[in-house]
Amino acid sequence: MEGCMKERKRVYPMEPWKIMQPSFAAKYVGYLVPALTNIGKRASPSVDRCIDTEKIVRYEIDMALALSAEGFAWSHALKHKLRPNVDNHNHAGKSQSYLAHDDDHRNTMPVNHEPATKKLKVDTKRSETEAAEEERLTYLRKLIPGGSGEMMVDDEILLIELGSYVSCLELQVNVLRSMLQFN
Amino acid sequence: MLHRLESLKSCTYDRMDMTVPERQAARLKWQQQNHVVQNNNPVELCASSGSVPRFQGLVGSNLGSGQMVELKRLEVFLGTDNFQEFLNFPVTGPEFGDSEKLDLLPPEAAADYCISRTSSCQMTALDTAVMKEEREDMVLEKMESTIVSGRGSFNKRKAETVADHKSKDKRIKGEGEGESEVKTKCSTEISRNSSKENSKASEVQKPDYIHVRARRGQATDSHSLAERARREKLSKKMKCLQDLVPGCNKITGKAGMLDEIINYVQSLQRQVEFLSMKIAALNSSVENLPTKEFPAIVANFPAAAKLPEMAGLPCFQLNPLQKESVNCMLNESMHPPQTEGIASASVSISEQSLSSSSMTQLQPFSTWNMDPQGLYNMYNMGFH
Repeated sequence: MEGCMKERKRVYPMEPWKIMQPSFAAKYVGYLVPALTNIGKRASPSVDRCIDTEKIVRYEIDMALALSAEGFAWSHALKHKLRPNVDNHNHAGKSQSYLAHDDDHRNTMPVNHEPATKKLKVDTKRSETEAAEEERLTYLRKLIPGGSGEMMVDDEILLIELGSYVSCLELQVNVLRSMLQFN
Repeated sequence: MLHRLESLKSCTYDRMDMTVPERQAARLKWQQQNHVVQNNNPVELCASSGSVPRFQGLVGSNLGSGQMVELKRLEVFLGTDNFQEFLNFPVTGPEFGDSEKLDLLPPEAAADYCISRTSSCQMTALDTAVMKEEREDMVLEKMESTIVSGRGSFNKRKAETVADHKSKDKRIKGEGEGESEVKTKCSTEISRNSSKENSKASEVQKPDYIHVRARRGQATDSHSLAERARREKLSKKMKCLQDLVPGCNKITGKAGMLDEIINYVQSLQRQVEFLSMKIAALNSSVENLPTKEFPAIVANFPAAAKLPEMAGLPCFQLNPLQKESVNCMLNESMHPPQTEGIASASVSISEQSLSSSSMTQLQPFSTWNMDPQGLYNMYNMGFH
């Protein structure tokens, strides 16, 4: 990585998402902060305001992620999940369904942690590893938004999208953490 | 402001020929084209697939009958003229079993003859693979010169010992195929001769095909070539992911890597959820948000976005461990006159908070193995 850094002026990294990192942060904050201030200003003294706020905040956070990372299949899918071409004024309802959907596959971890590769012969070993890998790939598809869609049937594309998704998630976490610290 | 940053970005994008969606579109186009190609070559595949099963075990390639996940445009070089040989070889197979020289692998030899050693493939991105195979080309040429030419003759065993020494020295990538090397080593020499003519002709082929010479101990079946290319690409991508996910340097194997990636993504998502809950709590507890600070954040961001240009290149050259010097530089670059009134007020605020917040931020990030660009982002965050 450091070797790449020295040559950064001339050599462009293989992963295009690394180029977009500065603009991602800018866009993210640029979207999220006004959205959050709007939530604060919105006068809605309902009883379960806390829950609503949570959902709205979550929605805005995810929306900010989707909008700041244009050009990726997962961001496209995320945007569509959040805003399924319906009018936007029912934020709470949509974010609720989105959250519910999200929590579902958080708990199902079918991954087999045993070192399945070490004990078996060549043929069976290969098929077992492949099966294990397939399992993990399908699980990854559930994690990444839009992973089960048509765009990411190809393993290679899935890995590329994973890379961008991971780095954008990292940035998102950084931004959120810094916002909290500042407050 | 942000426009200049965008233009900086767009310069870099020029070098990238295609963005991800475009690449995907191109890939879909390839697939469509390949459907046509595949329809034209059913007979070839049938001829080879019959003898392939044993060979599969040897080479360890995962050729399934319906397993073309990604179809590249392949043309087995033995296209039309040599198709006869395709059919003839199984017939002459058993004869090898009689020959003492070929007693080591009777049925496999038949399989090898059915499968051509060289095939020209049109691949989109096979840089290192092609290079290595070109190197292989060179060695193959040398070896073939010592082998009696002619497709019909099978007296290759003499040359085999010569070739053996040379081939043993070669370093070949392809972990999966390594295990089959021993068994197919012998067959390689035999069929190498059969491919000698192919090699000569393949060099004169149309320019838009990448000529791929099979590595030692590997099948040149169009399926397996595609599979191999695909696997190489996947492993390349996995290596990139390894850089992204912290703590993956020691882990080898695709399954372990995927495990790590899964865990990491899950942890990131959980963090986002946790932070969002915290923000929501903050929002609800503080009725009136400190409105002067948020616009300051937004106002600062255009300024911070300027920073990549002004301090960008020098910053990137810094050793990422030299946090203090970067700090100072960013401090200095924040000093240039800010035109927005709110921003000037926030500059002082941010400078005060800089020492406290940025340092505390940096510690968790040091474990994240982020590249300096990401770290640089965090300094920007620190200002707010």
